[in-house]
Amino acid sequence: MSLRYAGIRLSLVADVVQVMRAEDPVRRLFSPDGTLTDDARGSLGLDRDALRDFYRKMVVIRRADAEALNLQRQGQLGLWGQFLGQEAVHVGATLALRQSDWIFPSYREFGMAMCRGVDPAEMLTLFRGLTHGAWDPRRYHFAPLAIPVATQIPHAVGFAMGCRFKKTDEAVLVTFGDGATSEGDWHEAMNFAGVFKAPVVFLCQNNYWAISVPLSRQTAGSIAERAQGYGFPGIRIDGNDILSVYAATRAAAERARHGGGPYLIEAVTYRMGAHTSSDDPTRYRLASEVEAWSQKDPVARYRTWLSAQGLLDEAFDRGVREEAERIASEMRDKLAQAVMPPAGEAVYGHVYQHPSAQFLREREEFEASLDQS
Amino acid sequence: MADQTFNLPDLGEGLTEAQLMSWRVEEGARVEVNAPLCEVETAKAVVVIPSPFAGVIRKLHARPGQSVDVGAPLVTIESADGVREQSPGTLVGYGPGGGPESGIRRRQRTAAPVAEGAAADVRAAPFVRQLARERGVDLSTVKGSGPGGRITRADVEAATAAEPQPANMPGERRVSVVGLRKAIARQMVRSVSTIPQFTEFAIFDATALVEARARAKAIGRSVTPLAYFVRAVAASVRAYPILNSSWDDRTDEIVIKPAVNLGIAVNTEKGLLVPVLRDADRVDLAAIAEKSARLIEGARAGSLSPADMTGGTITLTNVGASGPVETGTPIINPPECCVVGFGAIKPRAMVVSGEVVARPGAWISISVDHRIVDGAMATEFLTDLVGRLEKIDD
Amino acid sequence: MEATMAKAINIGLRDALLADPETLIFGEDVGALGGVFRITDGLQKEFGEERVFDTPLAESAIIGIAVGLALRGFRPVPEIQFDGFIYPAFEQIVSHVAKYRNRSGIALPITIRVPFGGNIGAIEHHSESPEAYFAHTAGLKVVAPSTPGDAYGLLREAIADDDPVVFFEPKARYYLKDEVDQSLRVPIGKACVRREGTGVTVIGYGPTVLTALHAAEAASKDGDSLEVIDLRSLSPLDIDTVMASVVKTHRAIVVHEAPVFCGFGAEVAARISHDAFDLLEAPVQRVGGLNVPYPPSRFEKLFLPDVDRILEAVDLVTTYG
Repeated sequence: MSLRYAGIRLSLVADVVQVMRAEDPVRRLFSPDGTLTDDARGSLGLDRDALRDFYRKMVVIRRADAEALNLQRQGQLGLWGQFLGQEAVHVGATLALRQSDWIFPSYREFGMAMCRGVDPAEMLTLFRGLTHGAWDPRRYHFAPLAIPVATQIPHAVGFAMGCRFKKTDEAVLVTFGDGATSEGDWHEAMNFAGVFKAPVVFLCQNNYWAISVPLSRQTAGSIAERAQGYGFPGIRIDGNDILSVYAATRAAAERARHGGGPYLIEAVTYRMGAHTSSDDPTRYRLASEVEAWSQKDPVARYRTWLSAQGLLDEAFDRGVREEAERIASEMRDKLAQAVMPPAGEAVYGHVYQHPSAQFLREREEFEASLDQS
Repeated sequence: MADQTFNLPDLGEGLTEAQLMSWRVEEGARVEVNAPLCEVETAKAVVVIPSPFAGVIRKLHARPGQSVDVGAPLVTIESADGVREQSPGTLVGYGPGGGPESGIRRRQRTAAPVAEGAAADVRAAPFVRQLARERGVDLSTVKGSGPGGRITRADVEAATAAEPQPANMPGERRVSVVGLRKAIARQMVRSVSTIPQFTEFAIFDATALVEARARAKAIGRSVTPLAYFVRAVAASVRAYPILNSSWDDRTDEIVIKPAVNLGIAVNTEKGLLVPVLRDADRVDLAAIAEKSARLIEGARAGSLSPADMTGGTITLTNVGASGPVETGTPIINPPECCVVGFGAIKPRAMVVSGEVVARPGAWISISVDHRIVDGAMATEFLTDLVGRLEKIDD
Repeated sequence: MEATMAKAINIGLRDALLADPETLIFGEDVGALGGVFRITDGLQKEFGEERVFDTPLAESAIIGIAVGLALRGFRPVPEIQFDGFIYPAFEQIVSHVAKYRNRSGIALPITIRVPFGGNIGAIEHHSESPEAYFAHTAGLKVVAPSTPGDAYGLLREAIADDDPVVFFEPKARYYLKDEVDQSLRVPIGKACVRREGTGVTVIGYGPTVLTALHAAEAASKDGDSLEVIDLRSLSPLDIDTVMASVVKTHRAIVVHEAPVFCGFGAEVAARISHDAFDLLEAPVQRVGGLNVPYPPSRFEKLFLPDVDRILEAVDLVTTYG
């Protein structure tokens, strides 16, 4: 059975793919048309506070994302890559994991970083030219940004293999876009994960565009179906349905941490903004397409559902928006006070754990040259 | 209320200008933070620029259709907030404010360029040229016996064979100077050739210091004289901040430093190192003793970090720490203004109330930059320092 | 004890596995087979598949998983089977292994082992010398032993170092036999004088050190006294040992298998020229590979630096003037 959905063929993998491994709880969560079953919604174990928190977090990270773009336009950041439209994946996937499960992001997952507790103002220093690493990965279990596409995926697999060697019940999540699935590193990593039965969840945020290259130019086949070739299941879900994202990620992570091996989730969503603030999407995509996807906005959809469950009223919604404004404003103020580290420290201070005499000499010469100028 | 001008930022990683398409506000209009100000077109995209400030639009600095350089004023807003630090505007990339071509500083030459020499057309290896320089041999007068007429070492030696002063005597040893010693040598030349320095001397009566040390020892604390010197110098510098400064060649200004970061000269195997005791005027005697001990040990062990070795504003050294040597003329550690040298505390003959008595005492010699400090000021500072060292009550 | 370099490395790996339980060895064919050069022979049998394991054929992922394993607390020692196959892993090495600490403050204690160099009559891509690309990359340490004893001592040091190290093993010397002392470590960043001399300083690393020693022996019969320096460490570079020699001799030659053009010798030569400018009696010579792709094996001896080419360089610098 397949559906046409704004030009993307959305077929449900369950009809096409044989389950290679025994237990596959993820597929049972979804009905043939790709939606989360009502039973599944009920069985997610989310109480009203958790359900409302999903909404709160999506609104907050969206507001922060918009503020970051404003800051870029005001010259406070050199660059910003919006994640507008992908909030359901950022929040749903992150909250489906334990805080002790490591996440390996690409370069757009700031919503996820915020859900992990990273201070947004700290995060933005990356784009202010002050640092290459704006948080301690060990504190948040959130790896640094990975800018060369797909290169973080083998890291995640190696980490997950390590968890398996240590016999822990950790799961690892690695996330990437549709473009990453064309890179050799993705294929190599998927293959390793299958061979070593690594406890890793591969979360593809298929947001349709890799800068200006659409999905149809990225692959002739299906992303989700490729998992079978590597020996484990893959599924395509509606990435704009936060409960589906949560359910699939949770099921895949539980399966992985209990020895079930890797899982591929292709979350279909859309990059509502430009690739980055240097990009002009009007050059390569139609306004009508963007308009069509705005009708499927993940925050609006969830708001509707939440309201229908009696969990959202005007007062709550207003409170959430006010909180988002406050967080955005604090982020702006704090960023303006971001301290520039001393040049010697920033340029030479972090390269080696045990710098050699040669390196220290070069650093001294550098710092001395700063004193003289 | 303050007028703040918002300059056009680099919107796209290396842009140099943008064309103003249209304004979304008028002069006199009130705006909130993030309110859309205008549309500009860059080489990459058409962009709406949101307001960084809340307030009233005072002036629009461009007309629609006009090209605006990155870093040039876009709009001035009278804002109710305090004045905010303007963003650098060109955080990434170039534009008129920040490219690699901008801000070229022409360094002051500290040495004259080598004169275009007679040896311009002569073929000789660097060592041979060096040898010729040392011997005072004009290479253009030497016939080269090497391949292609190249002048060899033997040729230069032959040319100076008749000289009454033979070089390369047997037993003469060349010591190569690399690394730290080379750097120190460079600094010494720089100091002596660029800073007009003079030295003043004083002897202080160390009776109070010796007694203070004894009192400390009695309660189990071992405090070196150095700690007392550091404390006193730091305090005197606080009283005479002009000595904690640096002469800026480019602008002919004296730059007075806010922190008193005292360099302590330490003799090590590798050469003279000057680790820095930061904020020496803000720490008590015990902390000074502990920190300076740590720095000296670390310097000798070669284990100090670059942070411990930089940022000094005034230097302390010892001159005549042992034996019969009383004092000396220390050389300023550039780009500082003053170096303070202490001699050893030993019994000296002093005249007290008309009588010659033996008192513990030490020489202090200070060398100062005459562009910044004159004799009268140096004397005042040195007098203040002596006063502090002679009155120690703890 | 006397051992070949291959055996010395094998013992070094074994001792490293014993010394630190987080040490892992992995790569293509390193487990069951014991490595195509038998360097990892017997290790999987002794330490098991979770410490010494074979991977699928994917160099980029081999290094990529090393990053992940290091983050998870292991001390990975991945192998790249041949020098010519390091290129798929180039991105992971240069973009991540070298830069991870700079980006995140987390040191990755990875040691990447790579057999390198030619002179073994091999087919294409099996005789490369890619060390300059990695020495040129800040964040890495790059070393190459020339003797079995140093192979042991330098490997133990590299694995114990919390910074990432690329460990180049001169495969043409795998069967060279010499003393190996398991109590001796070779510090990273320290060159050594292999043969003292007074006339010309000859600097090499990896496979060219033995060649330089043969050249020194031959040169001594002509009355030329060569001092041979084994760099051992390319990054960091021990220029002080080199300089102490050039101060004596005033003449220097650098020898490596990699092409001379933009090779590592250029860095050494430039530093010598800079730091010892006034002492040089001849320009610094570089003897090495031609500026062409490594040729078919019948011609490799014309490409590689040998005793004759080193002696030609010695003649040049001693008769310069």
